[in-house]
Amino acid sequence: MILFSTPTCEKCSNIKKQFDLKSMGIRVEELTEDNAEGLALLAWHGLVKRAEEGLPILVVENEKIVIRGYENIARYLEKRTLRN
Amino acid sequence: MGEVLELKPLKLFDTKDTTDLAVFVRTSDEELVTWNRQKIVDALVRETFLDKGTAEMISEEVEKIILKSGISVLTAPLIRELVDAKLIEKGLEKARRMHTRLGMPLYDVEQLIVYPNKENANVPHGPEATNLTLAENIKKEYALLNVFSQDVADSHMKGDIHLHDLGFIDRPYCSGQSLEYIKKFGLSLPNSLAIAKPAKHPEVLLAHMVKFAAALQSNFAGAIGWDAVNLFFAPYIEGLSDRDMKQLAQMLIFEFSQQAVARGGQAIFSDINLYWEVPKHFEDVPAIGPGGEYTGKTYGEYAKTAQRFVKALFEVYMEGDGCGRPFFFPKPLVHITEKFWKEDGHEEFLELICDVACEKGNTYFVFDRGNTAKISECCRLSFKLEKSDFEDAKQPWRMRYSAIQNVTINLPRIAYEAKGDDTKLFTLLTERVELAVKAHIQKRMFLEKLLSQGERGPLALLTMNKDGQPYLRMHRVSYLIGMVGLNEMVQYHLGQEMHESDFAVKFGLKVIAHMKLLCDKFSKIHNMRFVLEQTPAESTAYRFARLDLKHHSEKAGRIVKGDISRGEIYYTNSTYINISQPMDPIYRIKVEGLFHPLIEAGSLTHIWLGEKRPNTKAMANFVKKIFHLTENDQVAFSPEFTTCLDCRKTMRGLLDICSYCGSDRIEGITRITGYFTRISSWNKGKLGELRDRFRSKDYF
Repeated sequence: MILFSTPTCEKCSNIKKQFDLKSMGIRVEELTEDNAEGLALLAWHGLVKRAEEGLPILVVENEKIVIRGYENIARYLEKRTLRN
Repeated sequence: MGEVLELKPLKLFDTKDTTDLAVFVRTSDEELVTWNRQKIVDALVRETFLDKGTAEMISEEVEKIILKSGISVLTAPLIRELVDAKLIEKGLEKARRMHTRLGMPLYDVEQLIVYPNKENANVPHGPEATNLTLAENIKKEYALLNVFSQDVADSHMKGDIHLHDLGFIDRPYCSGQSLEYIKKFGLSLPNSLAIAKPAKHPEVLLAHMVKFAAALQSNFAGAIGWDAVNLFFAPYIEGLSDRDMKQLAQMLIFEFSQQAVARGGQAIFSDINLYWEVPKHFEDVPAIGPGGEYTGKTYGEYAKTAQRFVKALFEVYMEGDGCGRPFFFPKPLVHITEKFWKEDGHEEFLELICDVACEKGNTYFVFDRGNTAKISECCRLSFKLEKSDFEDAKQPWRMRYSAIQNVTINLPRIAYEAKGDDTKLFTLLTERVELAVKAHIQKRMFLEKLLSQGERGPLALLTMNKDGQPYLRMHRVSYLIGMVGLNEMVQYHLGQEMHESDFAVKFGLKVIAHMKLLCDKFSKIHNMRFVLEQTPAESTAYRFARLDLKHHSEKAGRIVKGDISRGEIYYTNSTYINISQPMDPIYRIKVEGLFHPLIEAGSLTHIWLGEKRPNTKAMANFVKKIFHLTENDQVAFSPEFTTCLDCRKTMRGLLDICSYCGSDRIEGITRITGYFTRISSWNKGKLGELRDRFRSKDYF
């Protein structure tokens, strides 16, 4: 899983604080002005325009789903935590 | 050195040697005058800042050479060459540079006058066109010597980068216009003998539009695009009968496609942006009608009339010109926004524009997803509207956008130089983008110098101020950075082309993402809007391939596309995947579309159709799929045609003889980069590409 965020995004910070993303196997991709790799990955998933509309975005590669917005991502991660 | 060598008393020639010498000089002012060494001194002091003593010394030495040669008639250019040679001999390189004469060898001029120039397939071969090319060549030299610094100019000459339209160095690159400007202010151009008030009739508005486009073409190097043409015409054509509406549509298209009296005999590279739905940002804007007066309605209320007009335009495109050929210009760019799919009648309209795409290929499908809004023009350039632009949309005549210059980076060469080293590749890429930025700054400084002369200057049209700001709004211009040969860069660096693996596409995305982030960074530093554009590269893809084959022959020999033995070589355009690879068009559209959101100033995917005429409904479904399932910004479908020069019939496909009358006097027509043109005018690189193009015959 990949979480796309920016250092200035408050909702992204909340997700990062609320969940132990590392232990959940979630890689955080900070979209900064120097991170071409992160931007390329965002483009590969076809999410550049959606990211412009708002972050965070969670990509669950093995389920082939994209989850947008703090509430939806938090809900998904909570469920996942409970499941495990 | 000045060109006029006046006849003067020979007081300088008071030695026996020189007074005995009856040397005449042919000047550029078409005079034959006697030799006067002082002219060399004057020119050197005036043009190069050399001190008088050195100038005297140089002139005396040149005079000795002339005396010794026994020549009887000299030309001003020859004297200048002798002086320049002497300056080099003395190590005065800077002075030599400043003293350079610009011009062309006799042989080249003859070639130009007699044979066609194939750099731009939109320029025909004729006296006016050769005048244009001759002037362009001198301006090119001037630009490389006097506008750009030596490192930038040398990089262009070597083929690390390409500085576009150097022959039009004294103007911006291209622009997007609003009809509202001439509707509100009429046609009042600097240096014009007559001033026209705002049009009261649709035919007059059309006349103003065409004349203004011609005037603008003389002030921009490239395309002239017009926003929301069907919508802005609507207040003038409400209540018109279908017949009159169609007549006006026909006039508009023929007026633009037959502008062969414009610059160099070429048609104005013109684009009309069209909408089925009224875009959100114009819905509540008060409409301007006849006489430049507000009609009391908003543009939202003119939706039906605008729809009738856009349908009429496409009916004309469907018929084609007098021989049934597709119109080359104006290019119809249909914007499809989210609202399109909710608008009444959109299915029927989509079928109409798809029918035109299948039959003639004219339609460009521009996808404005989400809240995106843009004005498109040129081969693929677009100006994305920002927050402040939506404010301007309330007074749409303000919506004038320009790109000042385009600088393209030769990506495969970077891969050759990096020798497989990732760090070196990205370091070199950064350096090339920096160089492009430097070139842009130099061009801006030069243009600002011209613009500062205001209405008495060479760019008077762009400085006219009718709405509180100059016509060319420098605060809203962009500076384009393009790329050629991403596919070949990836191929050389990774050993795989982009269609061969996801890994290769991901690496390609990283390259473009790196360029985009650099543009963003430099935009902040210099307070200039640097944006990526997919360079159309009509001649650049050929030029880069040729130069690389020369300077990196072993590496480039394995990488360039086309046929080396015929000299028909090219690099794959911008971020495209290999154009010769057989593949499902939706795959091509999807993969190429991944790059589009990173390329703010415009992208396009071509689907080459060949002789096959797709099914209209299948294409309509295909377009729907592109909008909803991909990130692709713009798609065009390109059929091929043959026109018989004897019986004037037009046939589908590229044929050797006319299938009606058997004549071999035929002409092939298809899309070169972002426009239709005759194949006979294509450069070798594009001919190579044409041979390689995979035609999607069996997918619709």
